[in-house]
Amino acid sequence: MKLEIVLMLAVAAIWLALALVYALVPGLDMPGYIRVWGIGALVFLALAAVLYRARRNQT
Amino acid sequence: MSTTSTTMTSPRAPQTPLSRFATLQTADRLLCGVLIALSLFALALGIAYGVAMALVRSGLLAPAPDTGYRVLTLHGTTAFFYWLYTAQAATVLLLAAAEKKGALALRGLAWAGTALIAAGFVLSELAAIAGPPLLYEANPELGTDDPRTVAGMTGGYLLLAAGFALIALSSIATVLATRRQADGGLSALGFGLLAWAGFLIVSAVAAVNAFLPGLLWASGFGAFPHAATTDWHILFHNLHYLPLMATVLVWYALAQDLTGISPATGTAFSKIVFASYLVFVPPTSLYHMFLEPGLPESVRVAGSLLSLFVSVPTLIAFLIVVASLEIHTRAGGEGGMRARLRRLPWDNPAMANMGVAILTMLIGLAFAFVLIQEKLAPLLSDTMFVPGYFHFFAVGTVTQSFIAMLAMAVPAVSGRPLWRPRLLCVMPWIVLAGLLLFGAGGLGAGLMGVPRRVVDIGYGGEAPAIWRPFMAMVGIGGVLFASALAVSVFGVLRSLVPGRRGLAAAAEPHVAAARSAAAPAAAAWTGPLAVVLLVAAMYGATIGAFELMQSLPVTAAGGGAH
Repeated sequence: MKLEIVLMLAVAAIWLALALVYALVPGLDMPGYIRVWGIGALVFLALAAVLYRARRNQT
Repeated sequence: MSTTSTTMTSPRAPQTPLSRFATLQTADRLLCGVLIALSLFALALGIAYGVAMALVRSGLLAPAPDTGYRVLTLHGTTAFFYWLYTAQAATVLLLAAAEKKGALALRGLAWAGTALIAAGFVLSELAAIAGPPLLYEANPELGTDDPRTVAGMTGGYLLLAAGFALIALSSIATVLATRRQADGGLSALGFGLLAWAGFLIVSAVAAVNAFLPGLLWASGFGAFPHAATTDWHILFHNLHYLPLMATVLVWYALAQDLTGISPATGTAFSKIVFASYLVFVPPTSLYHMFLEPGLPESVRVAGSLLSLFVSVPTLIAFLIVVASLEIHTRAGGEGGMRARLRRLPWDNPAMANMGVAILTMLIGLAFAFVLIQEKLAPLLSDTMFVPGYFHFFAVGTVTQSFIAMLAMAVPAVSGRPLWRPRLLCVMPWIVLAGLLLFGAGGLGAGLMGVPRRVVDIGYGGEAPAIWRPFMAMVGIGGVLFASALAVSVFGVLRSLVPGRRGLAAAAEPHVAAARSAAAPAAAAWTGPLAVVLLVAAMYGATIGAFELMQSLPVTAAGGGAH
């Protein structure tokens, strides 16, 4: 379960990092990419949170 | 030579097809049956449109220009969107329910999702039939004179996206309710399903990002969506990865079901591989922008480098599955590769479907890498090279994998034996033959400059004569693989009709005996060897394409289409 949470957090971190790159780098004028990768980061963060909660309920 | 040394262990008893799906509840069987029927209906329609398109492109049919483009739109909309995504919805639900070994969670949401997908399907089809052809991406620039069609197409896609997002939520809730393994975690497949369902939800968000501005404009509530092309690229990138992730999860499940062994590399490694799909999705997206004229050179270079990672997770998953199958065959006795291959359960249609899926993935990957080269993309992206290579993935890899999955699941859903399994075992190989012909014709035609989205390529008699034989191969190959695929679809659909005796145990094609005991370590080198050959083929195809393109008087460049 710990591995699953770490993997989901890693995915969320990478998606968030890409959203920030698209938001902050001049020349990458693609707001759609910021929205999709940013919301994606939130989705995987939520999945990590759900897994964490399930782990706590078990222990 | 590089080898993968693995130990075949089974932390839990492997499942056979009937045991995997035997615990499906009656209400879930009905829901999954409706989704499967809807997906196969979409595939059957998509095949019919595809045959018409193949005949048009080979010159055997000469419809009015609007009719030709309408059929092209309908083929893409029906096969790419409604077949692939309804099939994924059915598959994620089936596998989630099987993981839980009990009732689906949030079944009402899943039913609502199914209704939304069906409504979207009807809306998109009607809009594509009645209005001007917008092509499958519902391009608003092609519908400026008829916003109602833009509204219909984009509205249909948004309903589809909402539908598969709801089904993904039901799947996530179901997986989370499964009994945990000894370490408190999910099974590898359970974690993979969770990741895939999350990715489905993100792709629904990408669909909203791509299609909502068009719907708002067409309904009079927003400005014209000038960023539609860029927003389509993001969705399109996600839509590339989703079916491939689904495919490797299906392989992962079926390899256990067909051979009775657990995956060779263990649960933790498998989870890392499934998560790696999601890791590689955003960074590899830049290559879709290669055709945009204003893209900075630094972004082109970065995109070119990152695109090299695009197939890493698929290849690792391929290694796991092939290594698992090889260990199974080595455990069956001595012999060379041919003898070991014969030990796989080829008399099960699902095995034949999966074998063809694996082969076509390797062929498709070799040519996909040609297309994502920054220097070649502008020359080839608007040519027949694209349908030539991607049908290896769409029809070969992905569709054959879903058919394999359905061939295993449908008898458990309907209680009826699979229709003529011996005949269905042959069909994937005919599909492969057709794909090879279609692919050779399409790739050759693409290298010769045949445009992919021009219905009449005669150009008033000015077209090069060499185009004709390549396009004839496209037509013959397309009709051949479509015919065999249609038989497979009929067989699965026929088996879906519930038997008169209700849910009696379905007679099952051959499944290898389960081996749950630990087996000695074995060297499984077929997977690594296949990857080495694939990399060599990628280099060969890329060098060959460069040389050929340099030798041709090509001056045209692509225009950003996908």
